[in-house]
This record gives sequence, C-alpha cells and structure tokens, in this order.
Amino acid sequence: MSEMDRRSFLGRAWKLAAGAIAAAGAWTSWDLLKPRLPAGFGARIKTVSPDAVPDNTVIEVPQARAYLTKIEGEVVALSEVCSHLGCRVPFCDSSGQFECPCHGSIFNRAGDFLAGPAPRGMDKYAVEVVDGVIEINTEEFITGAPPGTETIIEPPKGPACTESSHA
Amino acid sequence: MDDKEPVVIDNHRVLGVVPGKPAVGDRKVLSEDDTVMVWPHLLVRHAVAALLVLLLVMVISLLFDAPLREIANPTNTPNPEKAPWYFAALQELLAHFHPLVAGVLVPGAIIGGLIALPYIDRNLSLSPETRRVARVTFTVFLVVWIGLTLVGFAFRGPNWSWVWPWNEWHGEL
Amino acid sequence: MRVVDRIKGSVAYRSIFRLPDAVTERDRAAAHWSSFLLHLYPVKVRRRELRFGYSAFLGVASMVLFGSLIISGIYLMFFYVPSPANAYGNIQSIQTDVAFGQYIRNVHRWSAHLMVIAVAAHMAKVFYRGAYKPPKEFNWVIGVVLLVLTLLMSFTGYLLPWDQLAFWAVTVGTSMASYVPLMGETTKEILLGGPSVGSATLVRFYVLHVAVLPAIMVFLIALHMWRWRKDAMLTVDAAERSIAAEPVIEEVS
Repeated sequence: MSEMDRRSFLGRAWKLAAGAIAAAGAWTSWDLLKPRLPAGFGARIKTVSPDAVPDNTVIEVPQARAYLTKIEGEVVALSEVCSHLGCRVPFCDSSGQFECPCHGSIFNRAGDFLAGPAPRGMDKYAVEVVDGVIEINTEEFITGAPPGTETIIEPPKGPACTESSHA
Repeated sequence: MDDKEPVVIDNHRVLGVVPGKPAVGDRKVLSEDDTVMVWPHLLVRHAVAALLVLLLVMVISLLFDAPLREIANPTNTPNPEKAPWYFAALQELLAHFHPLVAGVLVPGAIIGGLIALPYIDRNLSLSPETRRVARVTFTVFLVVWIGLTLVGFAFRGPNWSWVWPWNEWHGEL
Repeated sequence: MRVVDRIKGSVAYRSIFRLPDAVTERDRAAAHWSSFLLHLYPVKVRRRELRFGYSAFLGVASMVLFGSLIISGIYLMFFYVPSPANAYGNIQSIQTDVAFGQYIRNVHRWSAHLMVIAVAAHMAKVFYRGAYKPPKEFNWVIGVVLLVLTLLMSFTGYLLPWDQLAFWAVTVGTSMASYVPLMGETTKEILLGGPSVGSATLVRFYVLHVAVLPAIMVFLIALHMWRWRKDAMLTVDAAERSIAAEPVIEEVS
C-alpha cells in the first residue's frame, strides 16, 4: 500500500464511522420514542344486550369511545373519533345524523360520509355477542368506508343541530 | 475695529472678524451609506426599542389575563373547536380541502417556498421597480394568508359555520 | 462618580472587562472584539440602518420577547408538573396561590403571541427590503427555520395547561401529521407517544417545549446574528456591488 492509499483509506474510514454512528443514533432515538401501542383502548369492552340497541338512534359507550346502533337488524359499533382530524363527533338527535363540530363533516346514522372535509366515513369496531351481551373489540379497527358508500338512505329527520356551511 | 472699545462676547474679547471659509474646513454632509459606530448609535436605539417592547408586554399582561378553559375532557369536543390563531388559516383550509392538501401539502409548500425564495429570485437589484414580480407574489400570499387567518379566527362559529364576530365572538387566544 | 471610577480602575473590574475606557472610536471597536455580548454586533453600520423605517426594530423585538419568554418560562417551571393529574391544577394554583403567578403566566402567554407576530413581521420586512439577496441567502433560510421553530414552541406550549382549548387543538394539529404520506401514522404516534393525546403526549410536548426546541433556537439565533454581523458592512445594493466588482478598464486615447 502506498502512502496515498493509506491516507485516503483513513480519510474514508472516519467519515464512514461518523456516518454509522449518526445512523445508529437516529435508529436509537426513533425506536426509543416510538410508542409500543396496545391496540385499542384495552381490548374488549362489554356493553349491553343486543335488544337494548336502538335502530333509529344511537347509544354511546364512553369506555370504548364508540356509538352502538342497529343497521338493518345488525349491531354496528362506530368510533366517535372523527375520521378527519380526531374530534369527537356528537350525534344530533333532531337531524338523526352525526355532525362534527370541528370542520363540519356530516355522517349518517350508519357512519356513511355525507358532507364536509372528512376523507371517509366513520371508523368502526368489530362487535361480537357473548352470553347475550355485545362486546366491542377495540383491537379490531375497521377503517371507514370511502365517500359515496350508502349503507342506508336516511334523509335528515329534521333541522341540523347547528347551521353548517356545508349543509 | 476700534481698540478703544473692545467688543466682548461671553467674557471673551473679539479681536477681529475674517471673511472667507472656516479655518477647519467644510462641514461634511453625511450620506445614508456612511458608516457610524454601532456603540452608541445603534445600541441606544436597540435599547429603547427593547424597553418599549417590554413596556408593551407589561401593560398587556397587567390588563388582560391569559385564558384557561375547563380541564381537558377527551369525551367532549368544544363546539366550535379553534386552533391557536396562527394556525387558523390552516384550519380554515382544512374545512375545505382534503387533509393531505390542507394539512401537509400547503404548509409544506409554504415553508419550502420561503426557504427556496433567495435561490429562485436571483435578481440582485434592491429597487422596488425591478422587483415587481417578487413583491406582488409575496404581497398576494401575505394578504390571502392574513385573510384566511382572520376568517378562521373570528368569522367561524359552531360546526365551523360562518358567524359575524360582532354578533357572536368565538375567537380564542 | 469617584466611587465608580475607583471600581472601574480596580484589578478585579479590569480582569472582567478587559477593555479600555470608551473614549475614542478605536476603544469602542476594541470593546466589540473583547466583549462576548457585543461581539454579536458589527462595529459599524450604515446610517440608513439607524432609521426606524429600515427594520422597524422587529428583530430586536423578537429577541426581547424570546428573552421575556425564557425568564417567565423558568418561573412557571418551578410550579408546574407535566402530568394530566397535576397540570391543570398547577396552572390554577399558579394563578391563585403564587404571588405574581397570574402576572407571570400572562407575560408568558402574551409574549408568545407577540413573538409570533414579531418574527413573522420581521420576515416580511426583510423580504420587502430585499435583505435575503446574495450573499445573505442562507441567513434567510435560518430565519425561516426560526419562524417554524417559533410556531412549534408556541404549539407545544399550548398543550401544557391541559385545558379543553389545549387538548383539542393538539388533537387536531397532530392528526394532520397522520396524513403525511408513508410515515404519517408513525410520525403521529412518535409525537403523541400513544394512540391519542394523553399523559405521554404531555411529557413529550413539555420536553420539546422547555429543552429541545429552546436549545435549537438559541443556537440558531446566535448563528443568525453572527451572519448578520458578518454581512453588515456590505454595500447595500447587491446589483451595485456586482457592478463595482467588475474590473474598470479605462480607455487610453
């Protein structure tokens, strides 16, 4: 090896070492800061018997941050976290629809997207009936249906809870 | 001049008056591009500016209390839900466009555009006439952004619907 | 004045301030090189820079507000624990139990709002003056980064009172991150430390707010001022400067 070769080898070696240490540091901080998430809010949440779920309005299950309703006889659990930017979507009793207070997205009782800036319908959780009681499985998260999906056709029953620019 | 009657000004006897230019030379007319010492000329101005800003902060802080709403409650979103005022323009855009556009692409383009500005605008001149394109572009951006901020801050009420701020006030600081 | 002169002549004083008495311009220039704080300033500036209309002193205003935020922020840190169980109560007791607590919190809050305005206005003023032009391009870039950091400081601080305003603004703000292509969800989880805004989020935002972001900002502000000092004596109009740099060939007749 000539003098010049050793010099350029050492020159490259320390740069490579510095790069490797930087990469290791980035990897360490990334993994350190990335939370290890248990899916959902604590797995299965026992709620009520299927008979108690209404088919013309919704009931709220605060522990699961979800709503329960019946769509064509089937119990459905809708996440109350807006698919747009995470606000809680309240159910408006007078119109029979979900109306998001943050940016005015509107969903029907089945969680289908109707209007506003949300990119999809409301997200859902899997439900199961165990010993006559509905269990919401918050680990099994079902992404909301794309706009245009019409599970049910329910025009607003009455006036919206607040005047919306997107109504 | 008469020696018998000496003219006295400020206890000094005037010996004579000579016509012509002052002995020391012309007084220089300073131009804007002449330099001055930072200490004290700039420092004293900065000190006064700093004191005025501190005074403003003190007066505002004595007059107005910082807001504190109810304790955070994950099961109840306030209606309307307002972002801090400097993000009100983004929030206004979020109500109209897909979040990828309003929440990622637009702010990304603004920051990227501002960073790239000195590398795009290679016009070296400083005179306003030759910088018309740059000035107009920047001014339009500024006006649109301030307008959106005002709308999002003061003109939006429950369910992000339009309100007149003099009828209902929903701005949050 | 006799006492002041004695102190100024003492060995101890001379060991701290190793500058001559500022009698001549040369003495004052020497002070710029031997004083840590003064060396952030150039020795001389052009007269136009003294006028209010040149800069409206918005950079100075930003600096002063940053200082006011650091001092009031340190006071607040003595009385604040970043956990959902304590945070809100801490703010309430700062306002009611701590002497001048409400005033210090007001100073912190209003300085933050004013600083966002001052930094943005500083940027606009620099744009209209054309002060981002060569060779100051990179200092403009540092300025844009400082503006973004100012907004991030403000936003991370917004969560700390743990009230309704804080919780939902941060819920919405961090949800925007989830729309970043490819790594959106991971970015959001790293910011939040969990699936939604919770105790981990509060600690993360607190650490960003009181340690990480201020450290980066102090470094960048120093760099920003240092580069401003380096360029302070350039000819004001870069176009004129490039003309002046052209070799002048006089025709010999």
